[in-house]
Amino acid sequence: MSPNDTFAQVSALIRRETSMVYDEGKEYLVSARLTPLANALGLTVPDYVRRLPIDPVEKRKVVDALTINETSWFRDHSPYQAFTDHLLPSILEARATMPGPRLLRVWSAACSSGQEAYSIAMLCEESLPDGWDYEIVATDISGEMVERVRAGRYSQVEVNRGLPATRLVGYFQRDGRDWQIADRLRERVRAQQANLAEPYVGLGRFDLVLLRNVLIYFEPRTKQDILRRMLPMVAPHGYLLLGSAETTLDLPPDLAASWRRDQVGRVQTHRPVDLGTASTPTTTHRLTATGA
Amino acid sequence: MRAMIIDDSRAMRSILRRIVTGLDFEAVEAGHGQEALDHLASGPVPDVCLVDWNMPVMDGYTFITKVRENPDWRGIALMMVTTESEQRQIVRALAAGAHEYVIKPFTPDAIAEKLEILGLVGAAGGAA
Amino acid sequence: MSTVSQERYDAPTLDDVAFVVDEVWRSLLGDEEGLDRLDHPGHALDHRVGTWTGAVSVTGEWRATVTVELGADAAGPLAARMLALPDDEPPTDADIADAVGELVNMVGGNVKSLMPGPSALSLPLVAAGRAAHPSELVEVTRLDAAWHDRAVRFTVAIPRH
Repeated sequence: MSPNDTFAQVSALIRRETSMVYDEGKEYLVSARLTPLANALGLTVPDYVRRLPIDPVEKRKVVDALTINETSWFRDHSPYQAFTDHLLPSILEARATMPGPRLLRVWSAACSSGQEAYSIAMLCEESLPDGWDYEIVATDISGEMVERVRAGRYSQVEVNRGLPATRLVGYFQRDGRDWQIADRLRERVRAQQANLAEPYVGLGRFDLVLLRNVLIYFEPRTKQDILRRMLPMVAPHGYLLLGSAETTLDLPPDLAASWRRDQVGRVQTHRPVDLGTASTPTTTHRLTATGA
Repeated sequence: MRAMIIDDSRAMRSILRRIVTGLDFEAVEAGHGQEALDHLASGPVPDVCLVDWNMPVMDGYTFITKVRENPDWRGIALMMVTTESEQRQIVRALAAGAHEYVIKPFTPDAIAEKLEILGLVGAAGGAA
Repeated sequence: MSTVSQERYDAPTLDDVAFVVDEVWRSLLGDEEGLDRLDHPGHALDHRVGTWTGAVSVTGEWRATVTVELGADAAGPLAARMLALPDDEPPTDADIADAVGELVNMVGGNVKSLMPGPSALSLPLVAAGRAAHPSELVEVTRLDAAWHDRAVRFTVAIPRH
């Protein structure tokens, strides 16, 4: 089996099991993650991959190794680029004429150890106009992760991952063997424990919800339920971002129709369809039909 | 894409070479800053230099200041890859003209992500 | 060589050294290749770590020598892995010296960053044989560890006050 065949087989397996797509060019990643698993059995990676179709235990391990929630800063780049270039200007424009405090609210759902929440916080620091502040709610099912986000301390190895050096020295202070995020950012990131499969209580409404690379862990029914209950969490002018390999195409028609999908830069955004104003004729028709 | 790996340890150069060639870079190596400057003067100019700090003959910090003095080499991205990890040192290197900074020890993903920040690796992982 | 109370000196804690060593080791050899920390090995390891020694010195605000000692059974495979040598090509002494030097450079640089600065890190010195600190240095931290049952020892020594 050539290295290409090996990669193609792994890529197909991941796509089948998780709907996640490992494009060509990710060979190094696949090889880095699979080598330890293969070595543990005394096999080469190609021999190991050849065995996967008949070994469900190892297959599970491969899926876990390749889908584990990564904790890079600015992971995947495109969503962060889209936030600065398109989403934030659009949100600010929509809110310019609205009453209420000039506070941008972001929800990092399934925040893991907080890299996503703090990455967005850095962009808010750099891109929000004067007079605006921001609040980032970071939730995770793991209490340990929530504590980590609150602490805002990251190891040397963690700050190596995708964090531009200028931002490392700009937003962190070295403290012993860790790096401590600046108080200014830590005060604006509110971490709390929450299970996405349970009701969203007391969170408020958001300008932006980041729900990236987490739906893949849920059964289809739970996934649909989450997307339904996300609708009122996103402001009409706001956005929901999913992971780049995640899709809402397999939703039931009524739920699919509740989310409007737009391509913004290199990312796909989801916005709640405002049923009150989205389609005036339908609304009128309904009123008539009920005899109100 | 072409990368120059500048480190006095052959073992470290070998580790970095495997990572960057896996990202479809051509790699050339130098054992210290002066050897790297000689390569730059005679050979094709690389897209990126991965530069250790502490080396014999000429250290990485001096190398970076020398590269920045030559306008012909303005297009080279400079990435420190070093065990020097105090905040003060990182600030110094950035001020001298380094674009990125990776602290040893690192994982292969960390190098790939920094090259991505520099726009040298596409989001898909291969050289852009 | 005796270990003295750390309060009296400007020394990294054993936990700090263990943490740094663990991160360095995993990055060089992979996540599955952790070092097992041996808490009370006594002198039993002395004869097993004596083949290769690498050292870096730190000068400036903090002064110290950081040393790694390991046997040929650990140093050879370490070099082979770092250099990705094929199975039928055993590492030469030059290969091993290079790999041990880079190992102690990475550990020394990271230990330095935990201590008061600014300080400078020397280039690594690698030699065959045990480390013998000059009499003006006193060992303040020692980490004994095992990699697949092969002994590896890291020490930090600072000037006597």
